[in-house]
Amino acid sequence: MGKQTAKQIAKRIVSLIIILLILSFLTFLLMYLAPGDPAEKRLSSQGVAVTKEVLEAEQERMGLLRPFMVRYGEWLGGVLHGDFGLSFKDDMPVGPKLVAGLKKTTGLASASLLLALLVSIPLGILSAVKRNSIFDHIVRLLSFIGNSLPNFLISVLLMYLLCIRLDLFPVVATGSLQGLFLPAISLAIPMAGRFTRQIRTETIEQLNKEYVTGLRTRGVREKTILINNVFHNAIGHIFTVVALQIGVLMGGSVVIETIFRWPGIGKLVMDSINARDYPTIMGFVLIMGTIYVVINLITDIVYHVLDPRV
Amino acid sequence: MKKRLFALFLVICMLAGMTACGSKDDGGEAPAGDNILRTAASFAYPSLDVHKEYYGWYTSIYGLSESLFRFDENAKSVPCLAEDAVTDEVGTTWTITLKDGVTFSNGDPLTADMVIRNLQRIAEVNSRFAYFGDYTYEAPDEKTIIIHTGDKVYPMLRNDLTSPEFGMMDLDATTDFDKNPICTGPFVIKEFNPEGDVEVARNDNYWGGAVKLDGAIFYYMQEDDPKLLAMQSGEIDCYNSVSSAALEIYQKEPDKYNVEVVAGTRLQFYILNENRLDPSVREAINLIVDKDAIAEYLKGTVSPATSPFPASAAYSQVTIPGVDVAKAKELLEADGYALNADGIYEKDGKPLKLNICYYAARSLDTDAILIQEQLKAAGIDSYLTVEEDPDSTYIATADFDIALYCMISDKCGDPQYFIDSTLADGAYYNVAGFKSDECQALIEQLRVETDPAKRAELANQILQIAIDDNAFGYVGLFNHTTVLRPGVSGFAEKIPFDFYGIDANTTKGN
Repeated sequence: MGKQTAKQIAKRIVSLIIILLILSFLTFLLMYLAPGDPAEKRLSSQGVAVTKEVLEAEQERMGLLRPFMVRYGEWLGGVLHGDFGLSFKDDMPVGPKLVAGLKKTTGLASASLLLALLVSIPLGILSAVKRNSIFDHIVRLLSFIGNSLPNFLISVLLMYLLCIRLDLFPVVATGSLQGLFLPAISLAIPMAGRFTRQIRTETIEQLNKEYVTGLRTRGVREKTILINNVFHNAIGHIFTVVALQIGVLMGGSVVIETIFRWPGIGKLVMDSINARDYPTIMGFVLIMGTIYVVINLITDIVYHVLDPRV
Repeated sequence: MKKRLFALFLVICMLAGMTACGSKDDGGEAPAGDNILRTAASFAYPSLDVHKEYYGWYTSIYGLSESLFRFDENAKSVPCLAEDAVTDEVGTTWTITLKDGVTFSNGDPLTADMVIRNLQRIAEVNSRFAYFGDYTYEAPDEKTIIIHTGDKVYPMLRNDLTSPEFGMMDLDATTDFDKNPICTGPFVIKEFNPEGDVEVARNDNYWGGAVKLDGAIFYYMQEDDPKLLAMQSGEIDCYNSVSSAALEIYQKEPDKYNVEVVAGTRLQFYILNENRLDPSVREAINLIVDKDAIAEYLKGTVSPATSPFPASAAYSQVTIPGVDVAKAKELLEADGYALNADGIYEKDGKPLKLNICYYAARSLDTDAILIQEQLKAAGIDSYLTVEEDPDSTYIATADFDIALYCMISDKCGDPQYFIDSTLADGAYYNVAGFKSDECQALIEQLRVETDPAKRAELANQILQIAIDDNAFGYVGLFNHTTVLRPGVSGFAEKIPFDFYGIDANTTKGN
């Protein structure tokens, strides 16, 4: 890693701090302006109406009646000391909640990404090599269907097929490899569809380049060209696509997490939005902002390592 | 290159393995013949502290906690840990007598002093019941509690004590209120996953006698489809709040599933804005809206409301005119409205076009569309305004002609809470101009009347005034729907409240 790269990283870290500050302020402001009262949501979460006196007392207790800047300043001060505050929903510390959700989401995201890559890399390359063959048409059709199906439909169909018809998995499963398998597949199917098409396109582009013709005329074996040259040159682009997907995956998938009872960060943040649980939403925004910036940084570095010309 | 790719895969595999794979047991099909009830819970909370928030609803559902009284199938408060609660003639002093032999799961007896400390703790930790902190308490002996409410007569005290938030905990022996409260219920906590699954085991020291089940597992499942599939695969034995789609499926196979439907206490209603709508228009709307048709459309999840409360309640004996579109039209025409070329009533050249506000939950979106269609068919035009948060929008601003809302109308077997919330002067949901001195005078009487029969009579008079004034429209009461495997019973399937689940008599029929 040269001086240039180190300088680049330092620059990114400074910009990360500025981005997070702006992001946190804007998020806090938007939540402040948005309709919905956390105290009211909390007191009547079961549909029981509350009196004005009880509501005002709860707003006071939760600190909702203080000025905007005081609240933001207090929150920011806490975060700088590693304290994300207490959830408006249940007074539990936000930090451990986010860590637990993030841990679960990381597991699910990694497993689904792995499955998607295991399927899409060979299919994408083979489809490009056997362009316009029946195999290529089938792969393109399947990847189109996979990419088009909504997550909830894939989830319920898989559950019905694998749990009810084939009796291979339990419907009620959490925490183990079995519990991970179905949500990971449900997330992986549309992802694999997307990756396959992108890998195919990138591989075709490389195959059409002059260096491939040159290698062929020199008698280099097709398999060697494909692995050592074509795939090597395409990997940078593929990595970028995968890295962008990691950011999306780390945001969690509410539908998948709810259907498969996977207590990830997507479900946590959706529940928090419904309850106007601002401390949890703020913590989530900060973490996701950091993840996005860090992933972009890593992508740039890896891209540079894979192709020093960039 | 190969090494780099291999390393990438390895990192992903390790992340997946390290972070996702715990060591917990999977659900899977219930082992044949075991005596553990498996069910699905739509909500899950981070704590089991009975007194805080609504956690007591769930400790009650899990069979962990019990209150001094409980509701029976007719929504009547009946003895549980206490024999009785009586008030003096003035209504400011209540005397509660505990049952003999009530013990916590650790074997310690429930004493009057412990009950008082529980009541004081509830006032401290639950803002909805903070007024219990204003009362004074006495324990003349181990079994008697005297509560003085000061100058204020509080007739609903017994009803409040029936609420699940008033479950009794052993405040001395409990070391972890969030995860393992020591209570009096037929079950004790075995495994508690905050905001996740909960497993309970039989309380071998249960004061109330034999407990039929060995234990129960409550799987946290929010979605309807997985619940249906888990029921079909035999992984769960029962659950409640069944969706209309699932209900249809279960009802087609009565040999496999028992379905119990009772009218609950969660009310869909609308507020008619008296500040904007002529009395004739309000009356016409109430004569046009066909709640039977709405209930039919919602396929068994809702019963048509004949008042804000279940029809069987003593305080639900009111008269609401039936659907009569011809009479509605007559009323409008007598008030100067006439149909225009578009088939819409207008007056002084201004078409009748109403703003129907709703939020997309509890089937209110369906209600809004159906009401719009019914009004249109009768010549009243309208448009829909959807808000995510009704309380901070149309309820706060009263900017509506018709406002749809859903709330629990009866939380403790008494009408005062709903009347205070919707009909009293300055009430949170009395935002659209309903005002009646006669009604307010009756509400004042209701607030101090301690005799249940007289309270019911007063409530009926109050409701009838609002009904005759066409201030509101009561659309439907959500049904309490439960599906059970044959042999499973005692899952609170006949009780209209949401906060009961397993008890000592719950059985799988093994």
